[in-house]
Amino acid sequence: MSDAPQVSHAALGDRIAGAVLAILALGAWWHSHTFVTGFMQPVGPGVFPRLVSLPLGVLSLYLIARPGINQRWPQKVALCRQLGLLLLLGCYAVVLEPLGFVPSTLVATVLLMRLFGAQWRQALPYGVLLGLALFALFEFALGIPLPDMPGGSG
Amino acid sequence: MEILDFLAHGFAVALQPQHLLLALIGCTVGTLVGALPGLGPVNGVALMIPLAFNFGLAPTAALILLVSVYYGCMYGGRISSIVLNIPGDEPAMMTTLDGYPMARAGRGGEALGLSAVASFAGATIATIGLTLFAPLLVKVAIRFGPAEYFALFMLAFATIGGVTSGSFTKSFIAACLGLLLGTVGIDPVSSVARYTFGWYELYDGIDYLVALIGLFAVSECLLFLERDQRQITAPMRLGSAVPGMWRSRNCASTIGRGSVIGFIAGVLPGAGASLGSFLSYSLEKRRWGDEGDFGRGDPRGVAAPEAGNNAAAGGALIPMLSLGIPGSGTTAILLALLLSMNITPGPLLFEQQPDMVWGLVAALFIGNVMLLVLNIPLVGLFAKVLQAPSWFLMPMVVLVAFVGIYSLNNSPFDLYMMLAFGVLGYVLRKLEIPTVPVVLGLLLGGQMEFNLRRAMSITGGDWSILWSSGISISIYVFAATLLCAGLIYALLVKRRLA
Repeated sequence: MSDAPQVSHAALGDRIAGAVLAILALGAWWHSHTFVTGFMQPVGPGVFPRLVSLPLGVLSLYLIARPGINQRWPQKVALCRQLGLLLLLGCYAVVLEPLGFVPSTLVATVLLMRLFGAQWRQALPYGVLLGLALFALFEFALGIPLPDMPGGSG
Repeated sequence: MEILDFLAHGFAVALQPQHLLLALIGCTVGTLVGALPGLGPVNGVALMIPLAFNFGLAPTAALILLVSVYYGCMYGGRISSIVLNIPGDEPAMMTTLDGYPMARAGRGGEALGLSAVASFAGATIATIGLTLFAPLLVKVAIRFGPAEYFALFMLAFATIGGVTSGSFTKSFIAACLGLLLGTVGIDPVSSVARYTFGWYELYDGIDYLVALIGLFAVSECLLFLERDQRQITAPMRLGSAVPGMWRSRNCASTIGRGSVIGFIAGVLPGAGASLGSFLSYSLEKRRWGDEGDFGRGDPRGVAAPEAGNNAAAGGALIPMLSLGIPGSGTTAILLALLLSMNITPGPLLFEQQPDMVWGLVAALFIGNVMLLVLNIPLVGLFAKVLQAPSWFLMPMVVLVAFVGIYSLNNSPFDLYMMLAFGVLGYVLRKLEIPTVPVVLGLLLGGQMEFNLRRAMSITGGDWSILWSSGISISIYVFAATLLCAGLIYALLVKRRLA
């Protein structure tokens, strides 16, 4: 999204959101006509989405016309850290099954701790500790089958 | 006296060892989560849901656990307000006004003890209210047909967020967005796939829990990353909590008034605990005027909002249990849990599952006592938890959310979905669009549409059935009144600020 740092750009955020939501409402309205209404149904599958997208569209247009207050958008450093969090979690989700729970989680915890401001000498021991504790909690205490390491016993 | 019989039966359910243990765990975890700055009841309860599922708990047991967490969070929120001047959650905001000055004056222990008693009184009064009023509401609601239910959903959306959030437009936009997201998936009536665009993962609709944890927990972490890493100062000497408990006798009338106001605010749809604590604080302040020392460490300024927000938390359970319509974010999450377990709250729940309903009510009474007992000796320990560094706590929250969501379906798709909802929640919060109506829309949309269609199939497509009964007309009138009251209130606030 926009990385406009100033508060004076507040109206812009609302206007962009209004435009996106208005397009969404329009799209939902248009797409709902493709839902086939079955036999003997006074209210078909398309009616309720249309009932909802109408006020959504109207209110979004109103938001474009009369934007309100926004919070300050993040500065560059914060934005990088947020993207880092999303990227890290996204990668974690990708490798969780192929690599197995323990190795991927250990790496993820240590990196997460670094991201949230720990030094390496704090992140390494505590990250490993937290990762193993979570493994013990989910695998043994809760009995959830977590993905095994490749080449593991199964 | 029927109620007493039910309640006795409920105590028999709640006093089972497993339920007692879960209530104890819930209260402890809840107080800890509530005490951590930034993590309120919404996140606490949301994170516990996947765990409750994985424990393989029966619905009654899961509900007892989560409601104990909920009450515990409301209790714990005050600790960081008083000790650190950072509210543990939004409703605890008012407690900082007098709690922190008291702590700085070396009366922190007194403030914690007093607020523990006030919280206990508020929560207990609200639970008594729940015991008395929920069955009454059920008696009315049992006569509701689909048209009346549709009206009730309209009421919930008309009033949601109107009072608590700044902008009506944005609350309604959020509700519509939630309702629209709720239509994604296979339509249960006609079996038509809606808005799935060929992704079979979406055929079952958007999983409530995935959306909830994304919207609340993940977006919270994103927000946390851009805040200044606040240096949490070591708590000052707190002193004993016991004098504060005695002090509460002097504040009995304050606590009583705060509890009643909070309870009413909690029952009203869309108002919730923040309003409860705000109203009870400001009324108390106005009542004493210059006599009080509000804002500079008046004990009544701690007692009133704490009684108010805990009473509101109990009151908010009434519409959730008896009508199936939650009035706050946390009760919405409890509703999500019930729906995920294929239990639909509402009047029929009281008839079909009295064990669950009354066991829950009894567990609330027991949980309150537990919380009071836990809070007196352990308050120092809870205050210590606040010193745990955020670089340890936040990754823990992220990972519990992550593994919890993964374990629901063993599906990485859910994780991507959770991240997407996290970004959505973050952007919405930046835009000051409230996220609670989105969740309510997502949760209630299916039921709302279902009731609309049932009403229509009764009349064969005549829309006038929606406003043809006395009950539904009264509900619409009530909704309109609340809506107007909210609009006028917003105008007054705006004028005062201007």
